[in-house]
Amino acid sequence: MQLNTEVRDKTKDKSRFQKISPALAIASIGILGANETLAKDELDRWDFDTAVLLYAEADDRVSAVEPVFSATRAFDNGETLNIKLAYDTLTGASPNGATPSKQKQIFTRPSGKGKSTIASGESPLDDTFKDSRVALALNWTAPINREWEYSTGLYGSKEFDYLSLGGNASIKHYFNQKNSAINFGISFSSDQVEPKGGTPIALAEMAHKSDDDFKDTHKKTREDDSNSKTIQEGMIGLTQVINRQTIMQFNAGFSYTSGYLTDPFKLLSVIGSDKSDSDYGANFQDTNSNNIYLYEARPDSKLRHSFYWQTKYSVSNGDMIDSSYRFMIDDWGINSHTLDFRYRWYFTLNKERDSYLEPHLRYYSQSAADFYQRYIDSDDYQLGDPNFSFASADERLSDMNAVTLGLKYGWRYQEGKEVNIKLEYYSQSHSGKKGIGSLSNQELYPGTKAVMLAIGYSF
Amino acid sequence: MHTIHVTPTENPSDHPPPTLCGSGVNWLGQFQAMASECDVLIEGLSQKDALVAVKLAAIEVWRIEYKYSRYRSDNIMASINNSQGKTIEVDIETSALLNFSEQCYQLSAGLFDISSGVLRKIWHFDGSDNIPSQTDIQSTLKSIGWSKVQWSSPTLCLKHKMELDLGGIGKEYAVDKVKQSIDLLAASLPSFAFLINFGGDLACSGTRLNGQNWEVAVESIKKSDSVDAKVNLNNGAIATSGDSQRYLEKDGIRYSHILNPKTGMSVANAPRSISVAANTCMQAGMLSTIAMLQGADAEAFLDAQEVQYWIQRK
Repeated sequence: MQLNTEVRDKTKDKSRFQKISPALAIASIGILGANETLAKDELDRWDFDTAVLLYAEADDRVSAVEPVFSATRAFDNGETLNIKLAYDTLTGASPNGATPSKQKQIFTRPSGKGKSTIASGESPLDDTFKDSRVALALNWTAPINREWEYSTGLYGSKEFDYLSLGGNASIKHYFNQKNSAINFGISFSSDQVEPKGGTPIALAEMAHKSDDDFKDTHKKTREDDSNSKTIQEGMIGLTQVINRQTIMQFNAGFSYTSGYLTDPFKLLSVIGSDKSDSDYGANFQDTNSNNIYLYEARPDSKLRHSFYWQTKYSVSNGDMIDSSYRFMIDDWGINSHTLDFRYRWYFTLNKERDSYLEPHLRYYSQSAADFYQRYIDSDDYQLGDPNFSFASADERLSDMNAVTLGLKYGWRYQEGKEVNIKLEYYSQSHSGKKGIGSLSNQELYPGTKAVMLAIGYSF
Repeated sequence: MHTIHVTPTENPSDHPPPTLCGSGVNWLGQFQAMASECDVLIEGLSQKDALVAVKLAAIEVWRIEYKYSRYRSDNIMASINNSQGKTIEVDIETSALLNFSEQCYQLSAGLFDISSGVLRKIWHFDGSDNIPSQTDIQSTLKSIGWSKVQWSSPTLCLKHKMELDLGGIGKEYAVDKVKQSIDLLAASLPSFAFLINFGGDLACSGTRLNGQNWEVAVESIKKSDSVDAKVNLNNGAIATSGDSQRYLEKDGIRYSHILNPKTGMSVANAPRSISVAANTCMQAGMLSTIAMLQGADAEAFLDAQEVQYWIQRK
């Protein structure tokens, strides 16, 4: 061993060498900051997700454009803040609930101003359907310690005639070496609806513009107050790592909604049900020979339970399978099943596995609400059958099956930067009681077909 | 002794799981990586927190080992070395390592060169007298030289037959990264002190909890009677270069395994081993490596750097 013991002229020796240690120090500190939050500037601490969603239903019904912007900031101690802003514009027409008819039909617009005429055999649509919605959500997640984490959020959205405000909180506990986690969450929201021209009184008859005393009769169908509803939800979830490839999630939850749950824009047709009568199967008419349409009525509360099971499986080549099943049951009599399946297939465009294709298949099936009726029989109408203290012809409450087929392509062109495009086809069909008499020739359950295109960019 | 559970994903090279021994607030975590025994000494943490820190250390070192090992066919090094003249794009971490290597190449006037690994194909340090011929050396030198590499972060283009090897900085990088990870962890934990030692490359968090220095045995200053000489360390890192067991000997000349990438020859009069203390382990490692390549001038080089160092010559 030798510790600089040799006699030599150090100064002379040294001068042959450049002092590179400071440059090396800077270089080594530089590299250690290369992918660490320590050296990140503020912008690098944020992740942004942007997307534009285009939705169009067949036959020029509803179309929507929805830009979504989401920003997430990660903090050094594991907290994250997420801000999401969405804006959507819906235009087009949606079914107003009345049945098609062999005669032309005239509807008073929901506002009471103006009328719309539907040709014979056509599906009655509410063509005043145009709305913009802006929504803002904030979410904060933070670890309490290594085993507990909490999350809390606020939500607000505003439409022309609708305001929704809400909040949520959840707590998550990791255990079993973080292979398991249990999650409890609650949320609350309060919605206010103020339809233009007032809220229709449940099961009131629509006033006709042609009536002499239209102003008075229309006014009698309206209440002035705005209507509100509250939604309270609770959820318990379990996440379990099964093995290196598989992770499962089980959720059970309830949701209790109370208040004004009726759709103020939906009507029901009253159909002549007396076989011996000449108007059997035709729209039942009042003394002014105007068709009778009733505003719909729904219960003022709904209790729903849901169960959800999701499995994510990572294939040995790194591809991902994501499948889930959800069952929901509520006290309106709607039971629904949702099956969802996605396969993410990675492949190489420029760099190793920088691209993926993801086929998506979703199947949805529900049973009708107890008070769903495609139309009201004139017998029931005349008797004031207690069975229709609630009634709705809203197709979303009918027996329904829906299939979604989609394909998504994503390209991660740089670390943390992805562009993706998703195209989906959606087909929804309904069923229920058949038409009688002349109504049997009408298409009562036309169904809905739609395409959706979403373009996303994450950076 | 407590064995720490790790998943196969966390332990891609299938090492034995890390272990933790100790009691109270004094812990020693151990695991294997990069052909070395890796130690993590911790003071001031509960067993539960110490387990987390040691697991974190092992996972990070194994990640780096797996990613940059030249023995694998499924990692970034394999992609680079099989690129066959094609331009490829590398990730941010690899990009930073290549930038660092490039700076070291320039600062050492070409003595440190991550493209010099192909010399191993002609130099086999098996203790024999098997010295490669000048013809072999000259033809191998054609595939060496960072200046021939087209590197403009993040795109890299390597000429045919050229190969890169980050083995020369991998362990020091791992030490610094682990130190950094445990430092980050410290934000959510009570105050504690730690020292990591990956086969002679080491770094500490500062002084021990009682304010005293860590006492570290450094191979380069081991006394001849095999009593370890101790170095006091209270911040920064120490890296050691050299391995006394690997050499060739022909006609009475001992050829060290330190190879000069510019001449393709073994460096004459290279010290048996050099340890350097510096702020980061990468800085220390680079200084000891470049000093080793100076052969007889190692001491003069290190004096010029004005760093603390220990040299062992035979």
